Amino acid sequence: MKFTKLVNKFEKLVKKHEKGVSIEAEKLTKLQQLLSDKRDRYQASLDTTGDAGKRKKLETKLRVVNAQLEKSKKMPLAN
Amino acid sequence: MLKKILLPSILIILSYGFWVSPDFKEIAAGVSIFLFGMLFLEEGFKAFTGGVLEKLLQKTTDKTWKSLLFGVVSTSIMQSSSLVSVITISFISAGLVSLVAGIGIIFGANIGTTTGAWLVAAFGLKVKISAYAMPMLVFGIVLSFQKSKYLKGAGAVLAGLGFLFLGIHYMKEGFEAFKDSFDLASLAVGGYPGLFLFAAIGAAATVVMQSSHATLVLILTALAASQITYENGLALAIGANVGTTITAIIGSLSANVQGKRLAGAHLIFNVVTGVIAIAFISQFIWAVDIVSNKVGIAADNYTMKLAVFHTLFNLTGVLVMVPLIQRLADFLVKSLPEKAKDLAEPLYLNDAAIEFPETVLKALKREVWHLFDSAFEIMAHGINLHRTEILTSPDLEKTIDNDREVHEFDLDDLYESKVKVLYSAIVDFISNSQAHMSSDFAEEMFRLRKAAGEIVECVKHIKHLRKNATKYMLSDNEHIRDEYNQLRYQVAMILREIYRLRGGEGEDVDHALALLEMDELKAEIQSAHAELDMRVAGILRDDRITPTMATSLLNDFNYVDETSRHLLDTAQALLVSHTDLVSEAAQEVVLDEDEIEKASAA
Repeated sequence: MKFTKLVNKFEKLVKKHEKGVSIEAEKLTKLQQLLSDKRDRYQASLDTTGDAGKRKKLETKLRVVNAQLEKSKKMPLAN
Repeated sequence: MLKKILLPSILIILSYGFWVSPDFKEIAAGVSIFLFGMLFLEEGFKAFTGGVLEKLLQKTTDKTWKSLLFGVVSTSIMQSSSLVSVITISFISAGLVSLVAGIGIIFGANIGTTTGAWLVAAFGLKVKISAYAMPMLVFGIVLSFQKSKYLKGAGAVLAGLGFLFLGIHYMKEGFEAFKDSFDLASLAVGGYPGLFLFAAIGAAATVVMQSSHATLVLILTALAASQITYENGLALAIGANVGTTITAIIGSLSANVQGKRLAGAHLIFNVVTGVIAIAFISQFIWAVDIVSNKVGIAADNYTMKLAVFHTLFNLTGVLVMVPLIQRLADFLVKSLPEKAKDLAEPLYLNDAAIEFPETVLKALKREVWHLFDSAFEIMAHGINLHRTEILTSPDLEKTIDNDREVHEFDLDDLYESKVKVLYSAIVDFISNSQAHMSSDFAEEMFRLRKAAGEIVECVKHIKHLRKNATKYMLSDNEHIRDEYNQLRYQVAMILREIYRLRGGEGEDVDHALALLEMDELKAEIQSAHAELDMRVAGILRDDRITPTMATSLLNDFNYVDETSRHLLDTAQALLVSHTDLVSEAAQEVVLDEDEIEKASAA
């Protein structure tokens, strides 16, 4: 291997170490769990709330959390 | 005045010395090369401070013994207590390390620095050190020409070591030749007068050379050439320890209060240690003999015995001072109080941190939050509310409906003195530190600068909103009054939520969830926007408001809308923590504009 290639490889390794290539599976699972819990909480509140204004807000929140959950499931995992 | 006289005096003395003695020239050249090597070594290690060292420092300073150990190990490796001190000061200034931990590191660095004496005494003076210096210099310089930051760093470290070795070689040669023409040992002074005299000489030499390490090497080489007596060598070593604090104090004059406190701790430690060493000198000599005997150092090997002495008295200092570390910190905080700072003065930006990327980012993040706090106050007054009302009111909407007090103040004036000043300081700090940053760090800094810029924009938007918001909140037309109160509520609610999610009230908020909750707020704003459009059309159609009122309202809503989005974007940028991987994962899950719009649509 050429010297420059070796240096490039070393730099890449260091960068990889410092930044992280993609999100670790464990962390992502934890995040998804947090979001699922939150979704369940919102759903439970929605089921018991009669106030129209509050219901509307809760529905918006629920849609956001669902969109985030959906997005998190499409994320690439680390090797 | 002293500075003006000092430099010419040194130059004259040196010139005279060079004139009368070529051997003195060689010794002085050796010291200069040694100091040059120290500079190289520091530069080289700085290349590696872009992450590892800082991360380690943060993780290893939660307990005093860990701070001590960090000081010992890092100084032993880098052979520079001043570099460790600078990093520590920058960390304390940025609020990342406590003063107690910082003091622990400095104490540890004092022990770490004694390893230098061991290396020189055991290795540097025994072998032909210049034989190692030459290849090190060549390899070091070749590597320092490379593009890679890490290779450059390794090259500088290697070249630094090469110069150190070369410097020691010249000092050694110089003293060997010097003793043939002049016997410095004849000037030896015995007893306590000699002890104080040589301690003062050691301190002065360290102040001039700005390095206790160089003084110590000079003492060891002179001792090896029998140019000074062992007792006077011990006194010189004590003096070098005290001298190094004078260097630190001079350095801290331009530092902030944290730097001054740390320099104070350093001074107290070294003076106490020096006094103990002088007071118990015969006990120390006895202890050195015992230790030397145990580890097999010959009775006449004074260079090694000096290294033992140097370690023993620094160790004693640490043992005496560590139990008092908290008291020392309290004393320093009391005697060097923090100046009551005006809100507009930057709190975390410190030039000492500029060369350490991780510290720069953390300090910047804190400073942008500080800017947010300043802007919060102005924005609150801008919508005629008090900061405390926003943060504590149990029913914010009701409070806003009932509060019709107009806050008389000059928003432009406050903007100039509390926001612009901070923003300028942030931009200036970023441009100064950019030269020391890799592309990754530069990208992060750009994000933070953008966040700061968005806060400034928000204040400008509130300035535009203020005129109509003040006019219509006092209006008899309840429809327009209600609509403007809704705008005031939206700004206040966003400010309050950001404050809550950031953990400003001391709550243990999960950053990852906070980061994502901002999306919910964005979606709420989006829904509110659509509702307002419909509402305004309705009340205008029913002639409840005039067309002028409607256009003002729609214009002002745009200001509020942009302010809310900017504030939430800023908070999201500031809430990302690169040390917390869950929050980093959350950053990836944060919704973009289109996704928010989709989620907000019923």
